[in-house]
Amino acid sequence: MEYNSWVPLLPEQASSFAGQVDLLYFYLILVSIAFAIPIGVGIFYFMIRYRERERFASTEGIHGSIVLETTWSIIPFLVSMTIFLGGAYVFFNQYTIPKDGMEIYVVGKQWMWKIQHSTGQREINELHIPVNTTIKLTMTTEDVIHDFYVPAFRTKADIVPGRYSYLWFKPTKPGKYHLFCAEYCGLNHSGMGGWVYVMEQKDFDNWLAGNTSGQTPVEMGKDLFYNKLGCASCHAGGPAQRGAKLEGIYGKEVKLTGGGTVIADDNYIRESILTPTAKIVDGYQPIMPTFKGQVTDEQLNGLVAYIKSLSGVTGSSTTVSTTSAPAANTASNSASPAQASNANTPRRADRGSNSQGSNPKAPGPTRRP
Amino acid sequence: MANHATSYSDKFVYHEPGLQHQFEDMKQQEESVSIGMWMFLVQEIMFFGGLFTVYLVFRFRFPMAFSMGSNHLNVIMGFTNTLVLIVSSLTMALTVYFAQRNKRNWQIGMIVLTMLFGLTFLYIKYLEYHEKYVDGLVPVAGWNRKVKLPGTELSAPLPFETGAVAASEQGGEEEKPYNNPRGEFQWREGSKLVSDALAEEKANPNKKVLTEYERAGYLDPTTGLVDEYRFQEKIRSFFWIYFALTGLHALHMIIGLGLMTWLLWQAFKGTFNSEYYSPVEMSGLYWHFVDIVWIFLFPLLYLLGRHLLAGG
Amino acid sequence: MQNAEALNIDHFERPKKNYLNNGTTLKSWLLTKDHKRIAIMYLITVSLFFMTGGIYAATIRLELLTPASDLLNTNTYNKVFTAHGILMIFFFLIPAIPAVLGNFFLPIMIGAKDLALPRINLLSLYIYWLAGGFAIWALLQGGVDTGWTFYVPYSTTFSNTYVLAVGLAVFINGFSSILTGLNFIVTVHTMRAPGMTWFRLPLFVWSHYAVSLVMVLGTPVIAITVLLLALERFAHIGIFDPAIGGDPILFQHMFWFYSHPAVYIMILPGMGVVSELIPNFARKKIFGYEFVAFSSIAIAVFGFLVWGHHLFVSGQSIYAGMVFSFLTMVVAVPSAIKMFNWTATLYKGSISYETPMLYGLGFMGLFFIGGMTGLILGALGLDVHLTDTYFVVAHFHYVMVGGQVIAYLGGLHYWWPKMTGKMYSEFWGRISAMLVFVGFNLTFFPQFILGFMGMPRRYAAYPPEFQVLNIFSTAGASVLGIGLVMPVLYLGHSLLYGRNAGDNPWMLPGLEWRTSSPPPTENFETTPIVTWEAYDFGEDSGLDFEEARRRELAPVI
Repeated sequence: MEYNSWVPLLPEQASSFAGQVDLLYFYLILVSIAFAIPIGVGIFYFMIRYRERERFASTEGIHGSIVLETTWSIIPFLVSMTIFLGGAYVFFNQYTIPKDGMEIYVVGKQWMWKIQHSTGQREINELHIPVNTTIKLTMTTEDVIHDFYVPAFRTKADIVPGRYSYLWFKPTKPGKYHLFCAEYCGLNHSGMGGWVYVMEQKDFDNWLAGNTSGQTPVEMGKDLFYNKLGCASCHAGGPAQRGAKLEGIYGKEVKLTGGGTVIADDNYIRESILTPTAKIVDGYQPIMPTFKGQVTDEQLNGLVAYIKSLSGVTGSSTTVSTTSAPAANTASNSASPAQASNANTPRRADRGSNSQGSNPKAPGPTRRP
Repeated sequence: MANHATSYSDKFVYHEPGLQHQFEDMKQQEESVSIGMWMFLVQEIMFFGGLFTVYLVFRFRFPMAFSMGSNHLNVIMGFTNTLVLIVSSLTMALTVYFAQRNKRNWQIGMIVLTMLFGLTFLYIKYLEYHEKYVDGLVPVAGWNRKVKLPGTELSAPLPFETGAVAASEQGGEEEKPYNNPRGEFQWREGSKLVSDALAEEKANPNKKVLTEYERAGYLDPTTGLVDEYRFQEKIRSFFWIYFALTGLHALHMIIGLGLMTWLLWQAFKGTFNSEYYSPVEMSGLYWHFVDIVWIFLFPLLYLLGRHLLAGG
Repeated sequence: MQNAEALNIDHFERPKKNYLNNGTTLKSWLLTKDHKRIAIMYLITVSLFFMTGGIYAATIRLELLTPASDLLNTNTYNKVFTAHGILMIFFFLIPAIPAVLGNFFLPIMIGAKDLALPRINLLSLYIYWLAGGFAIWALLQGGVDTGWTFYVPYSTTFSNTYVLAVGLAVFINGFSSILTGLNFIVTVHTMRAPGMTWFRLPLFVWSHYAVSLVMVLGTPVIAITVLLLALERFAHIGIFDPAIGGDPILFQHMFWFYSHPAVYIMILPGMGVVSELIPNFARKKIFGYEFVAFSSIAIAVFGFLVWGHHLFVSGQSIYAGMVFSFLTMVVAVPSAIKMFNWTATLYKGSISYETPMLYGLGFMGLFFIGGMTGLILGALGLDVHLTDTYFVVAHFHYVMVGGQVIAYLGGLHYWWPKMTGKMYSEFWGRISAMLVFVGFNLTFFPQFILGFMGMPRRYAAYPPEFQVLNIFSTAGASVLGIGLVMPVLYLGHSLLYGRNAGDNPWMLPGLEWRTSSPPPTENFETTPIVTWEAYDFGEDSGLDFEEARRRELAPVI
């Protein structure tokens, strides 16, 4: 995020109505200064001029003045009306969703953002959009109230469970802007952030086509693990750890709930990402969402490579024949042709499982006091 | 208030019996106690008001479910209770009347009558609640009558698991037989009326019978048909609000009876006379308030929406 | 009538019989009906809660020194900021001025022997202790992590903490508030001394009357809301939890219907205190008495109409938002009227700068900023950007701490000689007042900037570019903390070693200054008969200012 000085005062103005919001803000600061002057001057001048000269002095009893009272009731009221009108005008612009625009679907969930473009492209905690295009967000939440907030766009909206919430903006400046969750939602509320990438149209088209950068599988896997897929929010250790520990498990036996064990090999890792509920590690809850449909085969390989590297196993010895059912959406444009699913994951591609969040009927989670 | 400086030496000033030390005279005490009681009643109105608001919000959002639930309330008992309370307010007012006129025995009689009517109210309320228990309409799992029909397994499926569209497909409105091994909330009347409303909407596209909330609340999003379980949950919410409102009211009634007990004891001792009867008046105010809450409660819970189901 | 002799500073004697030594057993305190003793017990309890809440605040600021959640894990941080909010709002800010200063001085200011309903007053105290005990127990068990606002469905379905226990504590505490308010209303109506007409009442009494209206009308709504929240959490009745068909926004409406008037419960008594400090230390009648009196009532009434401004981004309709924004602008006007009247009171006064006056003037400056930023938040277009950011945090701390706490401290110092019969050290008082003022501004002004930058609230970890301002804020908090701890020390010291204050150390005309310090249990030796207007520094007041001047008494150190 770019700022003008080392002590930042204003975020970037990156949307069509950001300028209006800032203008209103400056107007209000001006109004505050304008009111502060008579009051401040009055107080300081009187404090000095009428300071006590003699102990227990008597004073003239000036008790009131209807004229003054009326004046300083009417003028603040009128000024506050201008503030109201300015605020209402800007608000109308911010919250009147235009008819046309690029639709994007957002699902907020403790504690990540799942975003889907209408062309099918999915993102986690990131939103890539082209500049100078009206963007309309249709948002739901899978659990509690969240809030989609982009300071650079000067807009936010609460996402309330049980209904659809809407937000719109028109980005005007390419750049990388913070995305925050702005309604307290529990443990990792402060970690539920991300980035909005506003790109020139051709860069956006490029991105939609899915170019990959020149990373090694392990680097790609690590990038996915920490930044793009949000695995770290549950698996990275520390107090938020709700997922099984991944360091040093490769090649070792893993104890499962119900008493069985399994060797943590490539298949196991792959299965755990695509069908997490198939095998639950003992002592953990079955709450990991599936990433089927969200990772390409290439990305899966990267993830497996990275997780193996956590056990000190280097070299991308990805087994070739165990690709599970291919991701059914357009993200996998580098996808290999659909290969026969192996015995471990015989389910068909289930896009529906990721959109369970957009069904307001989704029951609450199993944890309860 | 006295218009002259008064010394506070307690030893030498005559105090009327019952006069608290902070007051100058009885008139000030009575005025204070009266304003105090009215302020207390005002905040009680705000308290019940919150609950009434919740009820009204949901009643207007889910009229069919709430009307059907309301139909299962016993209007006869409710109406009887209304009469009982109104008469008890009469006897309460008479208590004040007789206290003002120094008639100790009449006072005691009237208080006893008021208490009898209060107890009658609570008894009828108990009968009503018992009826709900028998019918499986208490909204807490396990708090209904447990019945295991012969031939059914103990681990019988929960009522809503037995087939979502059973009632509407049967074509009739007969309630399912009562089988409630775990004492859960059971809505056995089905949701045929809602399905009928849906059909009516389909037939006349311009007519909207269900509210938007009802559409989202009763219907299965994938099939567009009534989901029995979700409909039942709305009825359950109605019964929760019913029990919360009437329960809170009954609690205030019990407190009122406690107040009456104290009043009876004091009247027995002859504390009240034509000069000093403000505790009777204040207790009367409280009793009338509890009565008035019921006057609002009865039509709102028992009578609203009956027309919607006329003929049903 | 003030005796010239009595003004001789060195010879003030403590009255032999006063409310403090009238009965010295524990039972005489715990079963007392004396409003002054009840006020002192509230003072001790309220101070303990303030200190506990303050420790939580210090923990928050320490954690926020660094961008990462390193001092506390996020789970603990969430519980800490929730505890800070609950303790400060329900157990300090709402009771502080009414239950301590109001309880002590309302009867004295109207010339009465006690409140109208002393046993109800004692019941209020017991209920407050019960609720406070519950709250502390719940916090010790592990507390809650929902935020003091308990938004559903997080609090009904997702939080694994002691929501029911804390909810119960809040529910019980509400009754303490209601009974105190009820008592004040009755007292002001029926217990005024002869000659004390409504328009001779000190403005402190007017503001407490207004606040009592809000307490009685508003608090039952939070009671029912918390009750329904508990039912929803415990029994899943389906009114708030959307997973079973409820409406989470209904909860927000009901919650804020009380909680917005609650903030006026918190600020109105503070304004009442300032309305005492300014005219008394400027030795001049308040400018526009009726306007200040009625503005308190106006704030109380309009305060009930603006709750929706907490729901601007929650999905309520645009038009509802506009109505609430309009009303929010309207409710700002009476506060503006007060500011102007206070300023005008200084004109042609004779202003002395004792500690209470420093706090009073500090209030004016800080409440001005708090109020104007409230207008900023009330402007819809800005609120969309600023809600749920540190801008809101800064705004409400300006009005709550910069307003209420500073007014409370000012009132405490102002009436300390009357309550205890001892003078505190003016030197240390002034130092700590200045530390509080400077520390406070350094703590919270940077948060306005942070908020506009986009730093959301309730964040244990934040992006690194926000660190510099957070460091300023924590630095300020240390200064503020020192300034707030100091009064404990020098006020405590004055209890043992302070010089006797005498009846009227500042020669003021208020009724409370016409009885001994500390007052006798019945407040006055004989019922006062009031023939003077409020803040009357002239001859009609019945005080012999000439005599005082003639004796050329030295200023107090």
